[in-house]
Amino acid sequence: MSPPASTLPALADLSDRLNPLGSPFLRAPETARTIFLLVMAAAMGPLAAGLVFFGWRAVQVAALSVGACVAIEWLYYRLTRLPALMGRSHAYLTGVLLALTLPAHVPWYVPVVGAVFAILVGKAIFGGVGHFLWQPALVGRLAVAVLFAQQIANPLPQLPGAWPILAQNKIVVGDELNASYEASYRQWRRTPPAPGRDAFWLTSVQDKLAPLTRSSQGVEYSALATVPETPGAKPVMILQVPPIGDLLLGARPGGIGETCAAVIVVAGLYLVYRHYVKWQLPAAFVFSACVVAALAPIQLQGPGDTIVGAWGPPGGWLAMNWFSSAEPWTQPPLLREGLEVGFIYVCYQLLSGEFLLAAFFLATETTSRPVTTGGQILFGLGAGGAAMLMRLYVDTPIPAYIAVLLMNTFTPMIDTIWRPRVLGMRRYAWLRKTVERRA
Amino acid sequence: MCNLLCLCVALLLTGPLGVQLDSIPGCGYDLDMFFRRYGTFSGGISLPDDKHATLNASIHSIGLPARLRVPISFGSSISAQVLVNVGEAVSAGQRLVQGASPEADIFSPLGGRVSAMATAQVPTREGFVSLPAIELTALEGPWDDREPAGEKGGFNWRQADPAALRERLAQGSLPTHRMNVRPLSQWIAKAIRHGCRTLIANAMENQPYVSCDHRMLAEHGKQVLQGLAILARAIEAPEVLLAADQRRLGDYKQLLAASRHYRISPVALPHKYPIGADPILVKVLKNREMPPGGTTMQVGCAVVGPAICLAIYRWIVVGRRALGRIITLGGERAQVHGNFWVPFGTLCHDLLPGAADLIHGGPMVGLRCSLHSVVTPGTEAVLALDPTPVRLATPCMRCGWCTDHCPARLNVAALNDAFELGQTDHARRLGAVACIECGVCSYICPSCLPLSQRVKRLKRVLRGTFRRGIQLSKPEGSGP
Repeated sequence: MSPPASTLPALADLSDRLNPLGSPFLRAPETARTIFLLVMAAAMGPLAAGLVFFGWRAVQVAALSVGACVAIEWLYYRLTRLPALMGRSHAYLTGVLLALTLPAHVPWYVPVVGAVFAILVGKAIFGGVGHFLWQPALVGRLAVAVLFAQQIANPLPQLPGAWPILAQNKIVVGDELNASYEASYRQWRRTPPAPGRDAFWLTSVQDKLAPLTRSSQGVEYSALATVPETPGAKPVMILQVPPIGDLLLGARPGGIGETCAAVIVVAGLYLVYRHYVKWQLPAAFVFSACVVAALAPIQLQGPGDTIVGAWGPPGGWLAMNWFSSAEPWTQPPLLREGLEVGFIYVCYQLLSGEFLLAAFFLATETTSRPVTTGGQILFGLGAGGAAMLMRLYVDTPIPAYIAVLLMNTFTPMIDTIWRPRVLGMRRYAWLRKTVERRA
Repeated sequence: MCNLLCLCVALLLTGPLGVQLDSIPGCGYDLDMFFRRYGTFSGGISLPDDKHATLNASIHSIGLPARLRVPISFGSSISAQVLVNVGEAVSAGQRLVQGASPEADIFSPLGGRVSAMATAQVPTREGFVSLPAIELTALEGPWDDREPAGEKGGFNWRQADPAALRERLAQGSLPTHRMNVRPLSQWIAKAIRHGCRTLIANAMENQPYVSCDHRMLAEHGKQVLQGLAILARAIEAPEVLLAADQRRLGDYKQLLAASRHYRISPVALPHKYPIGADPILVKVLKNREMPPGGTTMQVGCAVVGPAICLAIYRWIVVGRRALGRIITLGGERAQVHGNFWVPFGTLCHDLLPGAADLIHGGPMVGLRCSLHSVVTPGTEAVLALDPTPVRLATPCMRCGWCTDHCPARLNVAALNDAFELGQTDHARRLGAVACIECGVCSYICPSCLPLSQRVKRLKRVLRGTFRRGIQLSKPEGSGP
């Protein structure tokens, strides 16, 4: 007999979960646990780069973060008597990811508090893996960015915004808080530290350009371009930004896992190769960030409060002169400077922040990103664009992370509106049917 | 979008995706067919093959079983009249059951004695269904009647009118050799009603462990092709395709001349699972998509397996009824490996004694045998697999693999949510009835959720609501 028309399917019970009866009788070898552990293994790459550039303090932060995450998750499930749904493999992964986003010079309580927020607020109150809305590690990172803004941003009170990095001959073993400020520092390679010191205090690279966009006065020339009176001179900004080699290698201040672009990309591509990450999401993220960086009007600040250059008119986006070269400084960066200088500028914006780590490791967290490929592309485009806009126009230390959290919020909506065409059905058949019914 | 891109890249890289059998060196080639290209489908997965144990094992007759349980119907209706009594002796091929229509008659596979009326469990898409059955014991041969004893059946199908051919086929009471067994004449009537212009023989057989179709083509290929040609003439389909796995082309060389003779286009396709599912095969070969919950006949493509072609050949040309079929016995736990000619009604547990857990059919879409499961025309294999490790299902972590690999492009993760929340309306909007029940989502799920069964159950509930008020004649069995 056919089941009665109003019968709802029996809800998932234990026998359904144990699945002793039905086909298929074969299983793929991967389980959730192996996936989490493998993502964690890939995240060990950026962590190793952090060990190289920030010394044993990086490992200390990572150990504190992982230990705190695992302990809190164990305690939580112990107290609430809920089964530990995923073992604790996801807590390990969350701990490692949280450590990657933190700088190595933070005091011990910062990763611990971050772990508390990551596990309790990010994960537990939603019901664990599979249910949370925001990427837990980023919830923890956002919490400590708000709670401990001073300890993280200004470890040296007399030198605001300066973060340490180990010198070339002291990597891995040095203590990065034993540092000195070198005003003449230009390049990490071949720069020796002061005698008796292990590290340099460096002003964070993103602070050189980003805050300079909040002036409304117009400027007559661009900072990237060659000054017109002296042909052959190097563009002003190119002299200011760190060498591209340092950015790729990771020899710049930043979070433990944020700096080394080369290792992040290799580890991320490994995840793509293992199909744990779809290439479309990081690609959309990076592409969207590049486009925004290439087109967004900004102004550059020189020493003090002077404005040394600008792209785009004071009126902002609406007054932008996109194609005409009548007033060249009102064009967006890439059009104004051409590919050669514009490429360096875009690379700088992309590599000097936390964009790559967010694109490959944090935006791709399985639970908090959309399910379908198209949805993931939308997610990546939104997150990358929002991250770059926030970096250019909003004074925040972690723009890419906030952008990922922002898009995480919209994930259920994206999953609802983006549906692939089902075999044998018309595209958006459900929508057509609804519209026809209404009409 | 990504799928389109992948399709373009795949086409560029692989050139003609479907390699024609004619492209084998030394077999002659037909440029026209060589350059024909076939499409692909999104999703799917590359399964381990695991056929090595039985792939090259030639077909043998199985020994005389101790008993048979012959169900008194094919599973679709039980309004039948049993013609024999308990204790009566029967001979092989004797009519045991008079069906409601002459196409549904049941014949005795072997000679023997009717010992009792019992029950047998026959597989359907919804699970095993218990049917009354006639138990035969004291069985006697001769059983090894595979080889045609000369072409003595003597029906000249080439000159016969299609209607006369259909009449003759109906007299044979052949069953369709698919999961849901029905009389072949019903199937033919449906194909004609839908005006099928294309007949596809589906020899893809891309479930692991199963190799009976391959052996059938390798050993009885010409007979299979002839049976296919007979069926094409019966349903008046001008276009006939034979889809085979491109890895096995070496064994099919002798089919080329016959296929040209019968105007059958052989097509070799890659083995990405589930290309052997009928809707997917039709999508790949004809680029037509089966309507959700429908059949491929609605888009003008009739799909059959090689087994029914062989049975048709044996009835029309040789004059023997379909009393058994070729199935694969195998699996890691099996003591017997190979491809065997087995009479219908053999109990699965008699075939592989000693194995506790038997799978009826392929490991991806098959059913777990119960004690009284019997071999029916729809049986492809009886397997004794290593038991799947029991893993506790954990909550869906939205990795999206099920959605990526679903050949019907369903958002299985969302369907799982709909199942857990009991939202059947939402499931209908997501297109749950388009599920082709291939089992890929359950296979791939890293959270070990029984996704395939959940979607199947949703589908069944939705169909129940769709067919509100219509009494189903088919008994619903104890589903998996």
